[in-house]
Amino acid sequence: MASSKKLISREEWEKRLNNVKIRKEDMNKLVMNFLVTEGNVEAAKKFRMESGTHPDIGLATITDRMAVKKAAQCGNVKDAIEKINDLNPEILDTNPQLFFQLQQQRLIELIRNGKVEAALEFAQEELAPRAEENQSFLEELERTISLVAFEDTSNCPVGELLDISQRLKTASEVNAAVLTSQSNEKDPKLPSLLKMLIWAQNKLDKKAAYPCINDLSNARLEDPTF
Amino acid sequence: MPSATVNKPRPSELLSRLTSAEPEVKVRALREVKNQIIGNRTKKLSFLKLGAVPAVAGILADSIDDVTDNNNCNNDSNNAINILVQSAAALGSFACGFDAGVQAVLDAGAFPNLLRLLANPNEKVVDAVARALRMIYQSKLAPKYDFLQQKNMEFLISLLNSEKENVSGLGASIITRSCETNLEQKALFDAGILRKLNSLLEGGSLSQRDASLESLATIFRNNPEVISKFAGPEIGRPLSSIIDLAKDRYPRTRLLACMCLIVIRNASPHFLQDIGIKTKLIHILLELLDDPGQVGDEAPFAFSSLIAQKEDLQKLALEANAIDKLHHHIKKGSLHPRRYEGILLALADMCSKLESCRSKFLSLQVLNLLADALTDYNAGVRAAACICLKSVTRSIKNLSAGYFMNETIVIPLVQLFLDPSTSVQVAALGATSNIVVDFTTRKSIFVQCGGMKQLVQLAKSMESSVRSNALWALKNFVFQADNRLKEGVFSELTASLLSSLIRDPEPSVQEQALALVRNLVDGCINLIEFVFAEDGLILGAIGRQLQCASTAEIGIQGMYALCNVASGNEFHKEAVMQLLFTQMGDKNQSFVIKFLQSNDSRLCTATVWTIVNLTCPSSPGAPGRLEKLRNAGIVSQIKNMVNDPCVDVKLRVRTVLGQSMAFGDN
Repeated sequence: MASSKKLISREEWEKRLNNVKIRKEDMNKLVMNFLVTEGNVEAAKKFRMESGTHPDIGLATITDRMAVKKAAQCGNVKDAIEKINDLNPEILDTNPQLFFQLQQQRLIELIRNGKVEAALEFAQEELAPRAEENQSFLEELERTISLVAFEDTSNCPVGELLDISQRLKTASEVNAAVLTSQSNEKDPKLPSLLKMLIWAQNKLDKKAAYPCINDLSNARLEDPTF
Repeated sequence: MPSATVNKPRPSELLSRLTSAEPEVKVRALREVKNQIIGNRTKKLSFLKLGAVPAVAGILADSIDDVTDNNNCNNDSNNAINILVQSAAALGSFACGFDAGVQAVLDAGAFPNLLRLLANPNEKVVDAVARALRMIYQSKLAPKYDFLQQKNMEFLISLLNSEKENVSGLGASIITRSCETNLEQKALFDAGILRKLNSLLEGGSLSQRDASLESLATIFRNNPEVISKFAGPEIGRPLSSIIDLAKDRYPRTRLLACMCLIVIRNASPHFLQDIGIKTKLIHILLELLDDPGQVGDEAPFAFSSLIAQKEDLQKLALEANAIDKLHHHIKKGSLHPRRYEGILLALADMCSKLESCRSKFLSLQVLNLLADALTDYNAGVRAAACICLKSVTRSIKNLSAGYFMNETIVIPLVQLFLDPSTSVQVAALGATSNIVVDFTTRKSIFVQCGGMKQLVQLAKSMESSVRSNALWALKNFVFQADNRLKEGVFSELTASLLSSLIRDPEPSVQEQALALVRNLVDGCINLIEFVFAEDGLILGAIGRQLQCASTAEIGIQGMYALCNVASGNEFHKEAVMQLLFTQMGDKNQSFVIKFLQSNDSRLCTATVWTIVNLTCPSSPGAPGRLEKLRNAGIVSQIKNMVNDPCVDVKLRVRTVLGQSMAFGDN
């Protein structure tokens, strides 16, 4: 079986890897950027002490942002809204999509707690006017309200709305919005680099057999196979 | 434990708490009002109606002197700071994207207080106030800023120099909103503002860069002098920083940078003219169409400003598949009305001059799509659909194939004649004017849909633009139409209406009315009787109007109308002669001589043509008429024009002279 792919041995590969010079400071910056964007203030402070790396966002602003994110993660949406508005009243005033998503989460929490009457009243007073202005909002509203009709929400078609993952999704959108408003990038660089690694490996796969990384969590090189 | 309580006080209850003497209650109430209205237009409106804005503005006014230094950290000063911050934030939110709110804030007298508070020692107060002012300046209702006053300019500079984003952003917003004239643009340049904006462009934050781009575009608009000073060698290469920003990661920045570059291109023929930048701009804007938010809504408008009236760009855009891409977005459906309108206008601009673009667009089977847009609930979309239709119906190939004269298009179009919006009516009339030039014999479809009667009704509209456009459409409708159709139009119009339109106060209406008569009487001798109906009402009106024609165009159309009448029988020719020679008053000079001496060769041509018809040798009365013309000095005037630079004039003059020689003249 003839293969048109080039074979690169582990020895050769490791030699090439060692020839690539990456500065420690750049690695530290990546780590700091990750901690700061994700909002891990304590870890960021410790890391700053240990490595001398300076974060490019003021750590104080992170605390504010984290309070918002945490409130959203816990389902305290009203609290999250008030905190965002204290931080920057423009964010929700100029982002109807995000505002609707937060109000929708409030509705979900009411339904989750069995407060059906309050939920319907809330939907009518707060969400219906928004839905009048926008077709996609209307569809989302109808989906959410239909939760009320199901007794067994774990099996219904819109059950995923009650999932914790919905809360986390909302919380991360809120985090991104605050970051953008502070003129910071909303995505940490590290995951993008990992994605690039996988993409590069996929490309190279077509041309060569080489020691590749299959498990990102341990980054172990696995021997090349045909 | 998640709390999702919805207990909140009613609005009226909240407002009464605002008047509480206790600062803490007041702060909580202000904060609650703010939180209820942010993001919620309905709530803004209901609080507005309850008088919330004057109440909050009053609190701001009362507390304005309460925070005088930044050193006190006690409860009282905290409350005072919070009162200012929350009331400013609430006012800012009322003004955010909501014109009624802006008006209310201005009416409540809050504006001067907000300006004063920019000097407050507390950072949070300044931040909140700057933000509120920025919201006001985003609206058309913002008070006009007088840049030409020295202290105003100094204040503006101090705003731009601030390190706080919201404050420098306010400076930029003021420029973007208020700078209008070339004089103001130059004053801003002379004060060094452009240098400052440029540094924000290169070293500022995201929002500072965006604000800078908008302000720069405003200062550059229609001002080649300022542009060349800015782009000149002294300030490095500032244009390149704007070009770089057109490739920025943030879509809004890309859009604003493109808009700035387009303003520069359109104002100044020296900059950004190479094909590289043209292609780049086209591609960036087409790609921005994919943005789902406001950036994507505005992108087609920027695209239009790039290509409008410019064939070279339209060609490049066609090659870049612009028409396919624009069409693809419309087909997706459920568009925001602004985006829908923008895309239709962009397509209209693409098809305005080039047949290749029109063919491309029509090949996509778009009649149903346009028909849908004609019936959209949004007036801007309806008008844009008409404008797009007007562009594509310039395709003579398709017009003569009768492609557009079908019910899919004609019925919704005719319905728009009754549209509540004048601009929609005018746009519909524009499209109709092209469609009715249909060269096939299918014009009757238009009559069947009630279109012709509607046009006559619109010719009586109170709006002069509607009258003149309706007449334009009628003029095109009767162009080379058969006798039956013309008679139908004339009996619907009536001689008295047509003659009063000829004498309409608006010159554009007069012109179109005369052109309509010209087309009506053209072709068949029986039709000439129209102008004699009701004791020669129309003929008389033409004569009177030609005496005092205020524009060349009126003279041209009137003369061609007379020319067509003069192509008839003896009676007709004599009637025209009488018209040419009466009403000379004390001038002793017929308007004929005036027209012949005009600089406008079209007017000369029309007049000479009339003389040609009056003196054509086959009619028995020709010699007599020639004599009269000679006595009035008209023939010698014509002799002087025998070497006129305009070919049309020259040829017709020689015809007249040739005809006059047939009667033994020299």
